[in-house]
Amino acid sequence: MKLSTLLTAPIAVVSFTSASYAQIASIQTVTGTVTDATDRSPLPGVTVVVRGTTTGASTDGNGQFSLVLPAGGNTLLISAVGYQSQTVSVTGGAVNIALQADVKQLNEVVVTGYSEQNRKTLTSAISSVKGDELKDIPAASPDQLLQGKAPGVQVSANSGVPGGGIFIRIRGSNSVNASNDPLYVVDGVFINNTNLLATGLGNQVSSNPLADLNPQDIENIEILKDANATAIYGSRGANGVVLITTKRGKAGDKTRITFNTYQAWSKAPKQYDLVSGSELATLENERFLNDGGNPTQVPYRPVDSGGRGLPEEQATYDRLSDVFRTARTQSYELSAAGGSAKTQFYIGGGYFKQESVARPSSFDRFSLRVNLDNSVTDKLRIGTSTALSRTHRNVSSNDNNPVGVINSALFTRSNLPKFNPDGSYAKYGSFDNAQALINNLNNDAVGSRVISNVYGEYRFLKNLTLRSSWSIDFNDMYENNFNNTLILAGQPRGTANSYLSRDITLLNEQTLNYHVDFGDHSIQAVVGNTIQKNTFQRTSLAGQQFPSNDLTTIASAATQTGSSSRSQAGLLSYFGKATYSFKQRYTADVSVRADASSRFGQDNRWGYFPAVGLGWRLGEESFIRDLNVFQELKLRASIGKTGNQAGISDFAALGLVQGGANYLDLPGTAPLQLANPNLSWESTRQWNVGLDATVLHNRLLLELNYYDKYTSGLLLNVPVPRKTGFASVVENYGAVSNKGVEVQVTANWVSNPAVQWSTTFNVARNVNKIEKLASPITTGSRDIFRLEEGAPLYSFWLYHQTGVNRESGDAEYQDVNGDGQITVADRKLVGNAWPNYFGGVTNSVTYKGFDFNFLLNFEQGAKIMNMNRFFLVHGGTQSNIGYLREQLDRWQKPGDVTNIPRLTTNATSNNYGGTVQNLSDRYLEDGSFLRLRTLTLGYSLPKATVSKAHLNSLRVYVQAANLFTITPYSGLDPEVNSQSGVSNTKNFDWATVPQPRTFQVGVTVGL
Amino acid sequence: MKQTIYRLLFAFQLTAAGLAFTSCNDLLEPTPVQQLSDDKAITDAGSARSATIGVYDRVQAYYQLNWPVLGFLPGEDVRFNGTLNQFLQIDQNQLSADNVLITEAWTQMYQAVNGANNVIAGVAGVSDPLLPATEKDQLLGEAYFLRALVYFDLGRGWGGVPLVLTPTRSKENGQGIGRSTLAQTYDQVLADLTQAETLLPDATTRNRAVKASARALRARLHLYRQQWADAETYASQVISSNNYRLVTPYRAISTAPFLSQESVFELTFSNSDANSMWNNWFPSALGGQFNFQPVPAIIGLLNDPNVGGSRSALLATTTIAGANVTYGNLYSRSAQRDDPSYVLRIAEQYLIRAEARARQGKLTQALADLNAVRARAGVPASTAATADQLLLAIESERRVEFAFEADRWFDLVRTGRAGTVLGITDQRRWVLPIPFNDLVADPALVQNPGY
Repeated sequence: MKLSTLLTAPIAVVSFTSASYAQIASIQTVTGTVTDATDRSPLPGVTVVVRGTTTGASTDGNGQFSLVLPAGGNTLLISAVGYQSQTVSVTGGAVNIALQADVKQLNEVVVTGYSEQNRKTLTSAISSVKGDELKDIPAASPDQLLQGKAPGVQVSANSGVPGGGIFIRIRGSNSVNASNDPLYVVDGVFINNTNLLATGLGNQVSSNPLADLNPQDIENIEILKDANATAIYGSRGANGVVLITTKRGKAGDKTRITFNTYQAWSKAPKQYDLVSGSELATLENERFLNDGGNPTQVPYRPVDSGGRGLPEEQATYDRLSDVFRTARTQSYELSAAGGSAKTQFYIGGGYFKQESVARPSSFDRFSLRVNLDNSVTDKLRIGTSTALSRTHRNVSSNDNNPVGVINSALFTRSNLPKFNPDGSYAKYGSFDNAQALINNLNNDAVGSRVISNVYGEYRFLKNLTLRSSWSIDFNDMYENNFNNTLILAGQPRGTANSYLSRDITLLNEQTLNYHVDFGDHSIQAVVGNTIQKNTFQRTSLAGQQFPSNDLTTIASAATQTGSSSRSQAGLLSYFGKATYSFKQRYTADVSVRADASSRFGQDNRWGYFPAVGLGWRLGEESFIRDLNVFQELKLRASIGKTGNQAGISDFAALGLVQGGANYLDLPGTAPLQLANPNLSWESTRQWNVGLDATVLHNRLLLELNYYDKYTSGLLLNVPVPRKTGFASVVENYGAVSNKGVEVQVTANWVSNPAVQWSTTFNVARNVNKIEKLASPITTGSRDIFRLEEGAPLYSFWLYHQTGVNRESGDAEYQDVNGDGQITVADRKLVGNAWPNYFGGVTNSVTYKGFDFNFLLNFEQGAKIMNMNRFFLVHGGTQSNIGYLREQLDRWQKPGDVTNIPRLTTNATSNNYGGTVQNLSDRYLEDGSFLRLRTLTLGYSLPKATVSKAHLNSLRVYVQAANLFTITPYSGLDPEVNSQSGVSNTKNFDWATVPQPRTFQVGVTVGL
Repeated sequence: MKQTIYRLLFAFQLTAAGLAFTSCNDLLEPTPVQQLSDDKAITDAGSARSATIGVYDRVQAYYQLNWPVLGFLPGEDVRFNGTLNQFLQIDQNQLSADNVLITEAWTQMYQAVNGANNVIAGVAGVSDPLLPATEKDQLLGEAYFLRALVYFDLGRGWGGVPLVLTPTRSKENGQGIGRSTLAQTYDQVLADLTQAETLLPDATTRNRAVKASARALRARLHLYRQQWADAETYASQVISSNNYRLVTPYRAISTAPFLSQESVFELTFSNSDANSMWNNWFPSALGGQFNFQPVPAIIGLLNDPNVGGSRSALLATTTIAGANVTYGNLYSRSAQRDDPSYVLRIAEQYLIRAEARARQGKLTQALADLNAVRARAGVPASTAATADQLLLAIESERRVEFAFEADRWFDLVRTGRAGTVLGITDQRRWVLPIPFNDLVADPALVQNPGY
């Protein structure tokens, strides 16, 4: 049934063969034009069939058709993908038919693993998102666009850096050490999703490889969530699968050329609230006195008595305004799609450029796509999906990096001048000068990506098709960094780094598809195999000591050092899947995949991943149908097992000794890891029950899912006693569960030719729990996160501050073990980074030519560790860091009621240092939010007007992104994950670029 | 045309099937190209040498930053001026068992022990004509010396520690080995040093272990164990060697190309094996982070011609925003990044012997040793007359002589004067906490009291 990638619905086959029926003798000819009810544009490729016969036709590029009515036939059934079908009675002559866009989903064809299925017979939990819904959102990568769109899919950008990393979880996190990212499949190619940027930017995942894809090329995205849907992907399916289908030409379609552009302006919606110079001096003097200092010797006293000037004499220097800017985004895209009966094509080219709201980062991308399909004969089709892209990132470090741009501006004390008296950049403590960084950072990362697939498909019999496909994902990143002597990283005489990283996946697969209908029975089956090979390599070079700041390549460096590394892995798989359906009422699915991975020892190499699913469309049973309530009512249930091997090293099972442990420039070796010959797959068992219902004459659609996942045999770095010379060994130990519920409700409030209004609301809850763990594992900066049996992942391990003593002004902490003193044993889990629930609301209204949309998304209950407050509300312990205004709320005199303890550097008070090390939950905040992600108003000019300009269509729109965010969180942005490069951490806020507020105008022209 | 296409398709399938079955082994059993299986780590001359070099690398790892920090930062002369709490805790003598620097040092040290254990267990069995017996002895001797150094440091840091003496092959190795006493730990150090002294060559190398390195460490061990006569004997053996002398000026010790005659054992770094310690001492105007800042008291002492003398070279001054800022300049090679880590110096041998002699009542000889060090720094001879005065003078001398090396804290703990000098009266705080995470992973470990 691979033909349907082109002609989509089964009925389309009829149209494909309609020519042979057109010769049937008759006397009545019907001609007509089919248009879109909303914008009145002609619809090509629409299937028109005479009901009860096999006579039919499809519309041409102008939406016109002509057919001859057979005797007795007088009702036309007009159907097209994405539109509600319509029947029209005709007697001959000409008819005009306007089709309504189909907002309900039940007739969709859903792309599933290695096949397609009508949503009616689907037994799995699969969410679909149309490319059209995504194309105007000003984000670089398609995964980010899914935010708020699909229930149970949690998407948040790690920061507002364009082209930067995304946190995405489908139904929670299954794994501790292995990857929790879903598998992305673009037109059948399993693509690499590993960040290739080697430049350290402050522990953030610095690039998102999916940003190599142009969202505008996407036709639709399917998110496979339950095991029945993902088991066919076996060892790669445990974290869910995102299938991205790109646009293709349609047979009989007149070539349509579309030009699309938008321009946007972004700003940070909020700014840090720092103390003024004089407030800082007041705080410092108070701290000095609290520490028992001599009142005549306070640091901020008159200059002539040896001080730094009185508090009121202190100037205030605003560095943040130098960093944050109004950033521009621009996107241009030109595409053409069309095709004859034999050959169909889509070609698209795009350019996208986005500046970060924090200087100097930016991202741009040139992309090109060619999708071609050709019917060589009736039986043989060949084709390709090929995408090329070239990305360029100007990267700069932030987050956990004292010489980052935001750090240097935010943390440096506000009373200190930006420049020295001689005009050079002034730098204080461990921080660089923000302006120096902005002017001199020179970190370029150029990515080249080819994702290409060629296939041949041979139809042996009407129902039996063999397909062979060969793919490559070639991902290359070339970085060149030069640090001149004006910034700290370039001390003392200039430093440079160059990295060339290459990640290549080769994939070959064969599938044999069989499909048969007999009577009320329908069987669909597929068997196949895949061979995957992945190689990763990196060459890095470093240079120190440059003759001049203008000679920036390593060739000029006095000292040049280099290194290279390589690794590879293979995966061999066989799979099969069968679906049986009776009357499209009862459906059963069964699938299995067998995978062999090179990462495991010979005896444990093969993993088997089976699944079954059942669907029952109760709505078709007479006892339900007779109620006349449900237009659709379906129950679904599935269970299956999937695996995971991502995220561990290619040779994790072996006991290894590694080179590079050099001394005296002689080669040395040192033990690297302990052997574990028993290492095997991490596996996830998941069951899912679901309900789909449509009521009120298709006005209200409901989709419910409940799932229960249990991941066992975790690929875990199990701590071992360090006296062995190792800190951990990779073992299959431990278990994590995720249980949750997903609800999606779509209301079609109004649906008539003039006005269409629909709203989709989705919400999901996931409960994550570590079921079994050898011993607790701490992770993240300052060991702020701790994994413990019985607690969820991403739990914060801190001291719980119970208050500030009104008399002494010292912080009081919970003495968890009750031994009368505060020690590390009193650290406890005080919350986690998981939301209690999250989801989104999509609203869409079209009225005549106008369209109005908004998208809200929300998360409730996740905690965020605000490291900016950790550092900037330091009570005087950080002698080179300024203060947030919150520090002004400190305890000052007996009787004060506040949660900010008195200023002091005295370790024994534990206020800001000491045993507690400032690791107090007073910096842990509620990160709940409700965000207006986008708000769009568009207008499509009437066809008549547009025609005068010799255009096919013209739409203009304005859009605001992140117009408002309602949140109790005190930081810049509750959508933050600044330590995304550190495993098992989430929701750290640390001098991170916030999500920008963006205003955008755009135009789409059909040429 | 059609025929061609069918053939092509057929060929495709055949290739695919072929790939799937015949090259299965290549696909599923790739060979690592940058690691060795652990049973092939020490098999011939080359791999034996590399494994020994690897142990130096691990010792370098903890001596580059963590160990000097644990030596000078808990003392009174350097303050922490950065943002990381683990350093602040050390500076404020308010350690907790979750201090990540202490965990890191502990981990690195046992990695070095495991490396040494591998060499000790593996090298003896290597039969390779390219590895003559003398070199075999040398490699073994180096492994024994380095293991002794690590266990000595573990002992003076934490007290008695688990003594693991065989290479780890699985996580079950070492199971149940609990903490030894400090005496047992030091006994092991002595045993290893005795072996090392026998095996090592009597050479003049300063950045790899030789006989004199083992003797110098042994002198220090006896000093820590208050075995004064032995301390004197071994220090004398090193001092009497023509290969070692107090070099002048003082700064020559820390001037490139390093490896001065002062040095008994130091860990060499190079631009490709860089020491970034300077970065912690230099002010940001000079490209550093200024994390470690000498306090006014030590600046005063070092700049005092009667106390510091030429040791004022440990300091340097620069102007930041119109004000003079003084910073530590022992680690100063910001461009070449090849500052060594100083482990054993002849000046220390003099001061060890001075103290050992003073304890044995040999006051004149003791004073002579002390004054040898003072004379080199260009400061007047000490006038200490009694044993107590001498011991105090030696303590003060060590303070300025080794100001930014891994010494002050361990020295005050050793003499029991950390309470008097630093005000750390709770003696339980004189040893480091066992890392909390390791206590959880290792049921055989017991925490030091007070943490």
